[in-house]
Amino acid sequence: MAELAAEKHANYIVSVEKKKGSFESVVIEHLRMNGAYWGLTTLDLLEKLHVVDVDQIVSWLISCQHESGGFGGNIGHDPHVMYTLSAVQVLALFDKLDVLDVEKVSNYVAGLQNEDGSFSGDEWGEVDTRFSYIAICCLALLHQLNKINVEKAVKYIVSCKNLDGGFGCTPGGESHAGQIFCCVGALAITGSLHHIDKDLLGWWLCERQVKSGGLNGRPEKLPDVCYSWWVLSSLIMIDRVHWINKEKLVKFILDCQDVENGGISDRPDDAVDVYHTYFGVAGLSLLEYPGLKAIDPAYALPVDVVNRIFLGK
Amino acid sequence: MNDQQALHLLNELELILESDPLIDEVGFIHPSQFDMLNEEACHLLPSSDDTLSSKVSDIDDASKHIGAASFWNKDHKLGISTEVLFPLYQTTKHAFMAAIKQYKALVDNSCIEDSSSYSASSHDNVENEVMKLSRALLLLSCDFGTAWHSRKLAVSKKHRLSMLMYELQLSALVLSYAPKCEHAWSHRRWVIKSIAGRCSTLQNILEKESELVEKIAERSKMNYRAWNHRNWLVSYMSGEQVLHELKKTRSWAGLHVADNSCFHYRRRLMLRILEDSKIGPVQNYVDINQLWEEELEWNEMLIKLYVGREALWLHRRFLAPILLKGFLIDHTDTTGTSIYKDFDKFVDNEFKLHSFCSTVPESSFEDHHAQALHCATYMSWLIKFIGIEFQEKLRVENLKSLLKKICPEKPFLWDHLTNNKS
Repeated sequence: MAELAAEKHANYIVSVEKKKGSFESVVIEHLRMNGAYWGLTTLDLLEKLHVVDVDQIVSWLISCQHESGGFGGNIGHDPHVMYTLSAVQVLALFDKLDVLDVEKVSNYVAGLQNEDGSFSGDEWGEVDTRFSYIAICCLALLHQLNKINVEKAVKYIVSCKNLDGGFGCTPGGESHAGQIFCCVGALAITGSLHHIDKDLLGWWLCERQVKSGGLNGRPEKLPDVCYSWWVLSSLIMIDRVHWINKEKLVKFILDCQDVENGGISDRPDDAVDVYHTYFGVAGLSLLEYPGLKAIDPAYALPVDVVNRIFLGK
Repeated sequence: MNDQQALHLLNELELILESDPLIDEVGFIHPSQFDMLNEEACHLLPSSDDTLSSKVSDIDDASKHIGAASFWNKDHKLGISTEVLFPLYQTTKHAFMAAIKQYKALVDNSCIEDSSSYSASSHDNVENEVMKLSRALLLLSCDFGTAWHSRKLAVSKKHRLSMLMYELQLSALVLSYAPKCEHAWSHRRWVIKSIAGRCSTLQNILEKESELVEKIAERSKMNYRAWNHRNWLVSYMSGEQVLHELKKTRSWAGLHVADNSCFHYRRRLMLRILEDSKIGPVQNYVDINQLWEEELEWNEMLIKLYVGREALWLHRRFLAPILLKGFLIDHTDTTGTSIYKDFDKFVDNEFKLHSFCSTVPESSFEDHHAQALHCATYMSWLIKFIGIEFQEKLRVENLKSLLKKICPEKPFLWDHLTNNKS
């Protein structure tokens, strides 16, 4: 079996940031904040975070913050809770949360909670359980969960549970591994996992593993490296990860590497990108692949970073 | 290409969009395809004045030359050359970012200053610019959230139904080249939320939305975002509309048996009908027992016809427990005994289905293996979660050894599923 090309992947992440000027690269500049989180967390899991210029990143990051307290995906772009969590996570990686006006950021996030307990992604009111997770995770990292009605937030998430044990975007929405991660993660952070039928959900999640060993996100779909994260982290949080075949999943992820130029793709032989590189490495970290830092399945940050925040080291 | 030329391209794109407001499809084409399309058009309609070059006669020759090879517009379809995407995007983005900054400043000022010191005409000009530029930008980069937001901001200031309806049209245009674009779908929900309660044609709009999803789902398979939108619409639908949708999607689902999203949509509709029936008599009285039984029967027919389709077996997992767990005891049903009779019939039927599906032919293909696996997990599932006992007909040990034989990779899962009945 191939090994993890850790050095190559770190070089790939750093090179992406320097490679600009193609349509493909500029057309995603609106979500650079997410990109920063994926790339930098990958570097940290690979124990290579020291290669980047912290001050430069932090000063760019701060210039993406709005008067409202929320962060945009890049300078001049509108704020959204999604980019706000990424900004907080990046600062957490660098142990730089103290540069934030915590009051302001947490007021922005808490202000997005609706009457029924759900969360909007921004001022325009789109509701999704993803935003529930993002808000809860973000506030927890800032020690500000008391700013929202946690009970109602949990109730809303539970109302999005389907008869197959999974979760959708809104009540009645189709189960999807990405949404399931968000709902399970939010319930884990708020200590509400008892709302989940673990055997039922565990079964659905295990059925995501296909013959090649990879995981898909929904029935009948092709496997994709990103679900190594969404499905696996959910299985770990509900304590059912021993139901899947870990060796085959490791092999699937390693088969998706570009061993020459670095980076990981969605499926073997496809083009690599930062998103899949992060989810591949994070998945391997959950599978306790040697040489990688451990990652926390709920906060999606390295365990040492999470411990620093909640245990003061 | 210099900045001036790129700016000309942008003007030209805006001109096309203004002159052909009915454009309903946009795509990016390689220059080589481009020549072919133009030749084809000229060949078919040599005297046609409907092609692009005649519309942009006011643009200087050099730029016209670039333009003629950059856009293709005919029959309300718009093609944009992949060669000009990058400079066009850069120019459009910069122009948009400048305009939105100016617009936001004007909006903020108009809130704090009194109206006399604030120029209404310059406000309208900037607003027009924002609307034009955001439209062009979204046709080049569908995920540009700030551009979608700028439109919401401008439209929400006006409260005009025609403007809201145009947003549905633009979003559909974006979906024509990016059917999974989350922002475009979300923009539609924003429009519907804005008009719900103050628009007499809402039911009509919902019907059109549903049709749009089906049209897009046809060419973009298992599109989660599209189906999620359709699921979301259900809460706005009338009881009658829900029944109509259920009827309408049946043939589509039968032709797309691997599309779990369509079956989920049917589940959503069926649960809504069930919910409605608990509150009061369903419109055009529906026999819910019959509804479920027919769906089960139809599902069995599809399972036998399309071998090894996971989505079909999952649909059965949804149908069975609701029928069996007595959710369906109708308040008008006074006998109460029919449930047990149907129960035996059901168990018998599932056992026969199992016998039918678990025989893998000698020269078997992958589909038959998948069928046997899905069937065995379905039966284990009935035993574990519904508490059905097949007794001597189907022993748990036999199921377990069957599962381990077909899919030896997950022994721990099979052990768990077949060990303790809960």
